[in-house]
Amino acid sequence: MQFGIFTVGDVTPDPTTGQTVSEAERIRIMVTVALKAEEVGLDVFATGEHHNPPFVPSSPTTMLGYIAARTERLQLSTATTLITTNDPVKIAEDYAMLQHLAGGRVDLMMGRGNMGPVYPWFGQDIRNGIPLAYENYALLHRLWREDVVDWEGRFRTPLTGFTSTPRPLDGVPPFVWHGSIRSPEIAEQAAFYGDGFFHNNIFWPNDHVRKMVALYRRRFEHYGHGPADQGIVGLGGHVFMRKSSQDAIREFRPYFDHAPVYGGSMSLEDYMEQTPMTIGSPQQVIDRTMGFREFVGDYQRQLFIADHGGLPLKTVLEQLDILGEQVVPALRREFAALRPSQVPDGPPIHPAVRASEAAHGSAAGDPPTGEPSVGAATPIETAVESVPA
Amino acid sequence: MTNPATRSLVVVSAGIGQPSTTRLLADRLSAAAERHLVDAGVEPRVQVVELREHAQDLTNNLLTGFPSPKLEAVIDAVLGADGLIAVSPIFSASFSGLFKLFFDVIERDGLAGMPTLIAATGGTARHSLALEHALRPLLAYLNAGAVPTGVYAAADDWGSAGIPADGSLVERIDRAGRELAVAMVAREPRGAHVPFPEPIPFEEQFQSPKRRPDRA
Repeated sequence: MQFGIFTVGDVTPDPTTGQTVSEAERIRIMVTVALKAEEVGLDVFATGEHHNPPFVPSSPTTMLGYIAARTERLQLSTATTLITTNDPVKIAEDYAMLQHLAGGRVDLMMGRGNMGPVYPWFGQDIRNGIPLAYENYALLHRLWREDVVDWEGRFRTPLTGFTSTPRPLDGVPPFVWHGSIRSPEIAEQAAFYGDGFFHNNIFWPNDHVRKMVALYRRRFEHYGHGPADQGIVGLGGHVFMRKSSQDAIREFRPYFDHAPVYGGSMSLEDYMEQTPMTIGSPQQVIDRTMGFREFVGDYQRQLFIADHGGLPLKTVLEQLDILGEQVVPALRREFAALRPSQVPDGPPIHPAVRASEAAHGSAAGDPPTGEPSVGAATPIETAVESVPA
Repeated sequence: MTNPATRSLVVVSAGIGQPSTTRLLADRLSAAAERHLVDAGVEPRVQVVELREHAQDLTNNLLTGFPSPKLEAVIDAVLGADGLIAVSPIFSASFSGLFKLFFDVIERDGLAGMPTLIAATGGTARHSLALEHALRPLLAYLNAGAVPTGVYAAADDWGSAGIPADGSLVERIDRAGRELAVAMVAREPRGAHVPFPEPIPFEEQFQSPKRRPDRA
């Protein structure tokens, strides 16, 4: 099972000091968090994509390319890539390029974006959100699998004899997740392709998350990709930890009360009761996270949100230390002990990454070997068949 | 299983005081509708919702996007009802904010075709057309089927010092209750609300990609 960090990249004033970091500082914080994630033994860093203030990450592959060059094992991902307003041709090109630079350590998560005005800035209309997600992904899926594509659709200029370059690393496209909080159509789409389904699992009650994942699993089986329990599921999580839960709650409360999403609504205590948010001791976070598998089944990826809402970098890095030292090792152990053998222990990994791990003996959780995997020779013969598309 | 000889009626009152005039009117309307349902050979099942008790949850739902378990139960009851009585006090020339908040958080199309009786209370008869310029358009927007008679009750309608009420409120309540009962009986029972319907299969809502994904 993979564990990691996902980030929105918001520039939010720290409510305890009134200070706001600059865009330059915020970008540096995101990169620092990614490097720290690898340092403390986490597996994944996923960045959001936004095209409006107060968010900075408008160019995910630029950032991920930089992080790729400074890390060795970290899987680079998105949360999410806007499949609605980005040209699928550009997504195909950008992420294939990133795959080459990162030695295959790339997957990505499709999302729609929920800000109406963003759509027309890119020539689209939020009322077409689902049709855009369907059509654009259908094209992206082909661009990574067919060398020459003829295509015509509703939303984009037709393509005749088009080849997206570079071709995916060793002919194996990046693994794709589809993320949605509340649209069953997206769970259906993920199931149709046999791709992964990710629920951010932050803002909504367990029961809703359970229904979305159950739908995905049922339809995954319906479309012939395997038994429902072998679908590839990822969840988000929102945690803040101190040694004692009282300290955690005291320190985090102002950040909750002033958070852009839920600030000004219910109390922190009620919110924790009604959603998966956990503010408390490391053991409480372990227990609550283990509880997720009780309503979604054994799953493959757990991402935590860490840098957000104006939390100072020092605090965020402390959170990553706690995750890396206390929480994730325990979660790895406990999830592994409970997972039935037929359930995949993670999402599909690019053959180049697996080959690199085999060569350096660095499985997830082991200390890095010191040899950069970027540009490392990749045995091409291991490619293709073994990774589900 | 839904018994064809029963109908569920949910009464939503946005009264503020306890007891409130709005709730008083809601109860009279409910009693009238029940009487006419029984006369039509139908057994009414009535649930009364005081929005006041859900005011915090309604605000939280608006801000966070999801209802508390308690509010969700109320929303499901309304969306699964065979008929609705919606009663608001008139504040500042329109329905109260609390009343509107409820209709803002329930899902779009959830009330489509729902037989609905609209009613309101106010200090004087001068506000009575708020029923027609505020409540009725709101319900029309939601595609609910508001019955022709709306009931507005001003202070005078309950009687004023030395002058007994003229009885016309009682007549209007009875007429509105009858109209609602007739509309409810004319429709098949709705059955319980399914909050999470199956999506349309992928192939049907989108021209399928030329070939299925490779993974088998």
